[in-house]
Amino acid sequence: MIGAVLRAIDNLTGRGDAAVTVPALDGALRPNRRLDEARTRWPLPGVDAIAVLFGSPVASAGTTLYRLADGTAWQPWRKFNDRIACIAAIGDEGLAVVLDTGDIFIEGGSSEGRSYRVPEGLRCITAIATSPTAIFLANGSATNPAPDWQLDLMQRNASGSIWRIDRVSGKSQRLADGLAWPAGLALDGDTIVVSEAWKHRLARLPLTGGEPVAVHSDLPGYPGRLAPAEDGGAWLAIFAPRCQLVEFVLRERAYKTRMIAEVPRPFWIAPSLRSGRSFYEPLQGGSVKQLGLLKPWAPTLSAGLCVRLDRGFQPTASLHSRADGTTHGVTDMAEHQGRIFFAASGDGVVVACDAGTGEEGSLL
Amino acid sequence: MTVLLELRNGTKTYRGVPAVKDVTFTLEEGEVHALLGENGAGKSTLTKMLAGVVQPSAGEILLDGKTVDLPNPSDALRRGIAMVYQETSLVPSLTVAQNIYLTDDKHFHRLRGIYIAGQQFLQSLNFHVDPTALVSSLGAGQKQMVEIARAVHHNARVIIFDEPTATLTPEEKHQFFSLVERLRKRGVSIVFISHALEEALQISDRITVMRDGEHVITDRTANFDREKIVRAMVGRTLSDELYGAHAERKVRRAGEKVLSVQNLSMNNIVRNTSFSIFAGQITGMFGLIGSGRTEAAKVIAGVMKRDFFHGGQVRLFGRPVRYRVPRPAVRDGIIYVTEDRKLEGFFETMSIAENIHLGALAGGQTKSWTVSIREMKAIAQHWSEALSVRALDNDTRVIELSGGNQQKVVVAKALVQKPRLVIFDEPTRGVDVGAIAEIHQLINRLADDGVAVLVISSYLPEILQISDRILVCRQGRIVEEFEGRKADEHTIMYAAVH
Repeated sequence: MIGAVLRAIDNLTGRGDAAVTVPALDGALRPNRRLDEARTRWPLPGVDAIAVLFGSPVASAGTTLYRLADGTAWQPWRKFNDRIACIAAIGDEGLAVVLDTGDIFIEGGSSEGRSYRVPEGLRCITAIATSPTAIFLANGSATNPAPDWQLDLMQRNASGSIWRIDRVSGKSQRLADGLAWPAGLALDGDTIVVSEAWKHRLARLPLTGGEPVAVHSDLPGYPGRLAPAEDGGAWLAIFAPRCQLVEFVLRERAYKTRMIAEVPRPFWIAPSLRSGRSFYEPLQGGSVKQLGLLKPWAPTLSAGLCVRLDRGFQPTASLHSRADGTTHGVTDMAEHQGRIFFAASGDGVVVACDAGTGEEGSLL
Repeated sequence: MTVLLELRNGTKTYRGVPAVKDVTFTLEEGEVHALLGENGAGKSTLTKMLAGVVQPSAGEILLDGKTVDLPNPSDALRRGIAMVYQETSLVPSLTVAQNIYLTDDKHFHRLRGIYIAGQQFLQSLNFHVDPTALVSSLGAGQKQMVEIARAVHHNARVIIFDEPTATLTPEEKHQFFSLVERLRKRGVSIVFISHALEEALQISDRITVMRDGEHVITDRTANFDREKIVRAMVGRTLSDELYGAHAERKVRRAGEKVLSVQNLSMNNIVRNTSFSIFAGQITGMFGLIGSGRTEAAKVIAGVMKRDFFHGGQVRLFGRPVRYRVPRPAVRDGIIYVTEDRKLEGFFETMSIAENIHLGALAGGQTKSWTVSIREMKAIAQHWSEALSVRALDNDTRVIELSGGNQQKVVVAKALVQKPRLVIFDEPTRGVDVGAIAEIHQLINRLADDGVAVLVISSYLPEILQISDRILVCRQGRIVEEFEGRKADEHTIMYAAVH
């Protein structure tokens, strides 16, 4: 009873859980244009995941795997019957490819032809991480498939789960559930770090399963996939920014219900991998001017953001594509020999830049 | 040039202790004469003798070559010597115009008449102050303008400015310098006391430096540079160059996010502002007066309250906090070191030890339920030594200390509470160069020890010198962020005003 009264007061005054606030993009997350300034760009419409196999980038788009064989353009490499959910390189063994159907195939290495199967009922695989003995998978939602991520956010679901599949026996084990759209995985010693998109946080849980503990919370965007960095730490893709308008809509149940029922999805007030292509899209007046820059054309429902995390999974640097940029909706990245490849799903492009060499577009 | 005013072999002692010792000071007609020195050097005492506020214990004052007796300030004013004080001497319950015309010969004024005259007069000085406004409603900068206007109104031949620019915005400073130029052209002689050495070098014709109540040097401004002035003021070369070495300094990397301010609002002063403060790093916050810097800091520390409806969120170590009074903020490790130390920083009639101990009591750092004199003295001794507070002993009343040492007591009172986040609001305002270097070193030590530090300052060189990252505040919100090493004055000022 007291809790209900306090919630009512919070709703009225905009405090506590009802506070419509977004943390600042500052410090290590200070906006820049590094993603847009990267000189190496390879267009690939629909690109979603990226990995480096035997020194060469491999990317997935829809049902097809592409290879950047000669370093100039993407060439189709493998085609599948279903959409590719995520990919990960497993050293010399090849590339693990997870399909929406739940099939996992190993392609292009010493383990070519091996396959695994995720447990029945998992139809929203969002991320994969591998160790010599196991494959770890994130299932974003128990009710919605991966392409319906905006719907899952609007429904404020927390039905995601983390799974471990033994690479010898093929047995699967649930490590955690009740997660708010787990979208990225990174192994760290005997723990696994998970990005929980709808809770805007990174959480750590033991490889044997257990309750996740927050490592970094209150991110200013929706965290997606994690990828290991070569000198320790990790990379984190933030596939869409948070903004006050969306935060407000998420608290308005009646509005959300009608919006889901009556409004075509491209025109929802919801985060997006790419927005601003139609003037029918909602535009938040308060976001027109941010950090001193006037952006009359710029709804803040999409942007490009990738964060470098240290060994403690704290942000140390970031690469951005601002509201008027051309590298929105970064969903995955991979580092290889000091070079970083970013898959910008929103704009259908893969960009690459050097880390710390002083080249234009480099990170440090 | 002819000498207009002279203090010849002037000495002033207070209870046998000399504040000014055998000083000869000359002011030529139509010159701007900068008077510089550390706090406690005797500048104020010297100028007070010239303005009739205090009488010299020995020596004489000559005006137009004739010895004069100045028993009180009104007598000095009649002879054309006016003083504009750092702490304004206006009557707060009267309007601006009433203050300007207060000591005119008329017994009665028509309000309408003095408002019209006041309006025209203030406009002629290019001061944007409403003559009908109550002085109590004005900000510090506007009060300073009224003080200056009053001195000009009395047709003073000599105007003594005591730290006139300390509370002015850069724009107001520019106007003030223009005014000084106009006064100089009219033949008015000006004595200009300031801690801002660049201003003295920019505006003055001659510079006099005092140290420990004694005259050190007087020379044409062209013969001085910053280094020479500092050496004369402190009697030593400051090991750490105060301002100007920021490009070579290594910027600290951010640690854990200590404070996250999200869409904070307070009336129309703080408007939907968001920023973060990190451990082990000095975050400088620059903005013009009225940009909402101090108010945002006060909301964080529980001194002021954010808007009741949708006032935003403050998260300390990821946990939402809302302080209605400072006490729980202090308990959580947030310390706000005020910009107005005399009003809010310390109890002036209490001793150094008592003031520092009050900080320990507030922070719950004391061991016993009752006040232990022994513990109080031990705490005071430790912090006085750590911060090099210069006083006879820790029983000295804080009001008897120089500005720099007063500020160190305020800082000691804050640090004794073992803070995790310290907000310094104008930490070196009205503090001499020697103490500025010490306070900066102290702030740097805090950051090196992993404490999150926010420094609010209107003085750009200070912000550039001390900050690892710089936030620029304008119209109630953070509008830009710079890395400390890469920022320059021009860029920051551009962000602050555009």
